[in-house]
Amino acid sequence: MPEASNDRAAVDQPLTDADLPRPLSRPVLSARNLTKRYGDVVAVEALTFALERGTITGFLGPNGAGKTTTLRLLLGLAQPTAGEALIFGRRYQELENPMHRVGAVLESGDFDPGRSGRNHLRALALAAGIAFERVEELLALVELETAADRRVRTYSLGMRQRLGLASALLGDPELLLLDEPANGLDPAGVHWLRGFLRQFAESGRTVLVSSHVLAEVAQTVDTVVIINRGRLAATLGLDELDDGARSLEDLYLELTAREGA
Amino acid sequence: MIAQLRSELLKQRTTRTNVLLLLWMVGLVVLVVLLHVLSFSVEDLSRSDNQLMIVGLGTSIGALFASLLGAMSITGEIRHGTIRPTFLATPRRGRVVVAKVAASALAGLAVGLIAEALTAGVQAAGLGARGIHIELGSGDYVQLLAGGALAAALFAAIGVGVGAVVRNQVAAVVGLCVWLLFLEPLLLGDVHAAAKFAPGASAGAIAGAIQTQIADDLVAPALGVLLLAAYAVLASAVGSIATTRRDVN
Repeated sequence: MPEASNDRAAVDQPLTDADLPRPLSRPVLSARNLTKRYGDVVAVEALTFALERGTITGFLGPNGAGKTTTLRLLLGLAQPTAGEALIFGRRYQELENPMHRVGAVLESGDFDPGRSGRNHLRALALAAGIAFERVEELLALVELETAADRRVRTYSLGMRQRLGLASALLGDPELLLLDEPANGLDPAGVHWLRGFLRQFAESGRTVLVSSHVLAEVAQTVDTVVIINRGRLAATLGLDELDDGARSLEDLYLELTAREGA
Repeated sequence: MIAQLRSELLKQRTTRTNVLLLLWMVGLVVLVVLLHVLSFSVEDLSRSDNQLMIVGLGTSIGALFASLLGAMSITGEIRHGTIRPTFLATPRRGRVVVAKVAASALAGLAVGLIAEALTAGVQAAGLGARGIHIELGSGDYVQLLAGGALAAALFAAIGVGVGAVVRNQVAAVVGLCVWLLFLEPLLLGDVHAAAKFAPGASAGAIAGAIQTQIADDLVAPALGVLLLAAYAVLASAVGSIATTRRDVN
């Protein structure tokens, strides 16, 4: 699939429909004019972007920029005030077997501290019609077999991240949405995650990963979507930047400082 | 639907909160029943209506704890954030609420049965120790056990609805306790005519347990079942609508 032809830096104007990439197939994920207000507070404003199949996209922005709100809108956990958030061309709530299409890890993991890691995965597997053998496969993949029967209360942050990733992968999805997945991982864990996501994307699947660790992002992703104060600040391919992390940082700081001044 | 129910039943079995809840209930039943059996006079305790009133305490306690279990099945998920993966697996949230109602009702059935059986057992032991003859017949016990279990199951469903609407765990738990332990007994004392249709009084009617304030004023057991079922359906429906419409944070 030709890439980068439609990538651009759009600093002030949000992209309109006509600006969206038009691949042969539908975009894996698209936000169109997506807006969420809480009373007078604008969390996300007229956000438009799309993900291409087989890519890893970094979703960047300062704390409070609207990253988490956008992910919640995409996942149908919150309703947009205006615009739409589509996954495989449909609202999340309209997907037939959502866990088989999309996997998501939100924040530092959503677990009952008194339940074991294995039972956490089993409860989700039952609801999604997934066999318990798959739970065991994933416990092995994220190296939590020996801790599987311990209560999540006893897990380190890194172990919770890995359990969250295992939950997201239960249905063998085509799209992963990860909110700060490297938080709490040790260097070996970060290295493993990077390799895993790379492999995941190379098999034709797609990843959106929010982060504010720019150096980490620069090593992992193909494209970045930068938002600031709920608005789109830029979308661009990393190959449009001259020199990896350094210039991504410059661009990021320039874009996110602009309205704060 | 079956998938969601199985998931909810697994959650019920694997949360520590439910174990703690059950232990609290057992402790409370033993304490309350023993206090009654040991402090009343032999003459009072020999009367069948008083014996029935004391075993009726099990109905109230069972119903209370079943409602807490139901409420926590949803407020606990909201508190720990597991409601998010739950809704990602089942985005049609009405199904999740219905599955929680069904799973909590089944758990509530067990809670009610345990509360009644324990109450009857502790009372029998206490009366036996004081040499007092038990006046209750097998018919009384059958209605107590079956009715108490059914009332607790319906109260668990009410709890799910209340939890879904209130969302905050402490507020839901305090609200249910205040209603069942203070407000409803106050109402029973002051406005008999209306209060006998209230949820707690309906539970008493189903189990045939006589509550002190309105000894002669309970509705018929069948009407009690209908009333409590209506409260359960209403609470579940409101909880389902609220859960479907509101954002998850």
